[in-house]
Amino acid sequence: MNPPSAPARKQRKPLRAYLQPAFVYALLLLGVVLVVLPLMWAGAASFTPNHKVFEFAYPFSWRALFPVDFTLEAYENLFARGFGRAVGNTFFLAIATVILGGGANALAGFAFGRFEFRGKNFLFLAVIMLTFMVPVDLTAIPRYILVNTFGWINTWQGLLIPGLANSLVIFLFRQFFAEIPQELIDAARVDGASWLRVLISIILPISKPVLVAASLLMFISQWNAFFWPLLVAPRKELRVVQVEISLAIGQYGTIWNELLAGSMIAAIVPILLVIPFQRYYVQAITGTGLD
Amino acid sequence: MRRQQLLPYLFLAPALGLLIVFNLVPTIATLVESTFIMSLRSGHRVFAGFANYERIFNDPIFWKSFQVTVVFSLLVNPIQIALALALALLINQKLPGIGIFRSIYLLPIAVSLNVTAIVWGLMLDQNSGMVNGILTQLGFARQPFLHSVDQALWSIILIASWIGVPLWSLFILAGLQNISPTVLEAAKIDGANAWQSFSKITLPLLRRVLAFVLVADTVANFLMFAPILLLTQGGPRLSTNLIMYETYRRGFIYGDLGASSAMLTVMLLIVFLIIGLELYLLRGAE
Repeated sequence: MNPPSAPARKQRKPLRAYLQPAFVYALLLLGVVLVVLPLMWAGAASFTPNHKVFEFAYPFSWRALFPVDFTLEAYENLFARGFGRAVGNTFFLAIATVILGGGANALAGFAFGRFEFRGKNFLFLAVIMLTFMVPVDLTAIPRYILVNTFGWINTWQGLLIPGLANSLVIFLFRQFFAEIPQELIDAARVDGASWLRVLISIILPISKPVLVAASLLMFISQWNAFFWPLLVAPRKELRVVQVEISLAIGQYGTIWNELLAGSMIAAIVPILLVIPFQRYYVQAITGTGLD
Repeated sequence: MRRQQLLPYLFLAPALGLLIVFNLVPTIATLVESTFIMSLRSGHRVFAGFANYERIFNDPIFWKSFQVTVVFSLLVNPIQIALALALALLINQKLPGIGIFRSIYLLPIAVSLNVTAIVWGLMLDQNSGMVNGILTQLGFARQPFLHSVDQALWSIILIASWIGVPLWSLFILAGLQNISPTVLEAAKIDGANAWQSFSKITLPLLRRVLAFVLVADTVANFLMFAPILLLTQGGPRLSTNLIMYETYRRGFIYGDLGASSAMLTVMLLIVFLIIGLELYLLRGAE
């Protein structure tokens, strides 16, 4: 760790080399406690009878991190109330967004990454950059009024279509497609392949990293979306998971184990996706901030 | 040849069409809408000039929420960025098992703000929450947290930071990994200590990333909404009435879309100011 040219410090090296990692681990563990404690308690409480949810939280004991009198009652009651419908709705919406939005965003990213055409820079700045900078929640009210004139309030179209195009995802695709070697495309073009063919048989097979990253980003942001679904589709049959659990706070505010069971279902889906694909996910969210 | 020139536009049409209709038009419509008085219930819209702005600028509740938002921003952003920088430096260490720590710190990023608010809302429960359970165990008095004018905003800061700190640390970590190790090696050989190489080399090289994080974090926290709706509804005594919640309350609870749009326009201008600041900071970095 220390410069070899400093013999005076070299003698202290063994102690420092031992202490420094210990200090780093101690700090890292403190952070882990802050991250894991609420999740473990919430998970444990969702498998605990409602009247015992807080039993070991206050006063605190380690038993709060494990279910007390293990029961599935919270999950059973939750699904008896129709929570399964919200889960199905959210899966449908997130998958539809990945397929339809992914297609549209990939095509746009391909055009920006591989073609030279008139108005390219203007379109990129005026549409992609501008929509990237203006947070979608800030324009939710006029979007609501617009969608209302289409008659899309409380409809699948209203939930799905406004969120399909995503400038962040277009960014990701553009960056990836721009880095594909031109020779690869030229070879196929010389053989007389159409652009659509090039896209499907040359580009698509090598695009797994960007497809995984973009799909994760779209799926998780749709799964976690709250403000827009809350405004546009409050009807019971169209509710998504995030809206359902937020309404549960008001309606079943003291049935804590059900509230936490719903929260755990809302949390576990993105967690199970992020953990195995973390490299792609990290690349997707940090990809645009750095260049 | 003509077909080829048409092709990129065909590829762009679906996504750009959607962005224009559902993002660009509403952005402009926010400005237009702010000059109308309209009610969600009757559906009548009347042109009102700057009347909505006059109304909100003469409204103590708007100013109070503006003030709360400024205080919140001045607290939450420096706290999150300082902790995110510290976390990034920690998980950038080359130590055995560091990968496991990195994975654990990803968990909050995957979890929605709603779930975070619900779980932490119960953790901070004034009667039987775990935080109070731990405090009393350590011999401290029970705290009211979300039910106290003095502590509610801090509780929201804690909830926002549970996601915010690990999230922004990812960006800073990516920035740290872009720094060539030879630069730091060279500094070490020249006799720089850890603090010197951090403040003289690492920090200046992180300037671009930190400028981005500062702006993105500020904008994200400026729009903080879900924890307020779910936990405090702006209270107690408007102490957590952040401006985004106030626009929702006006627009969707009271049906006053005009005042709501005027506030959103003010917010839009502030967001552009913040982004302008980013461009200025980044220009200096090049």
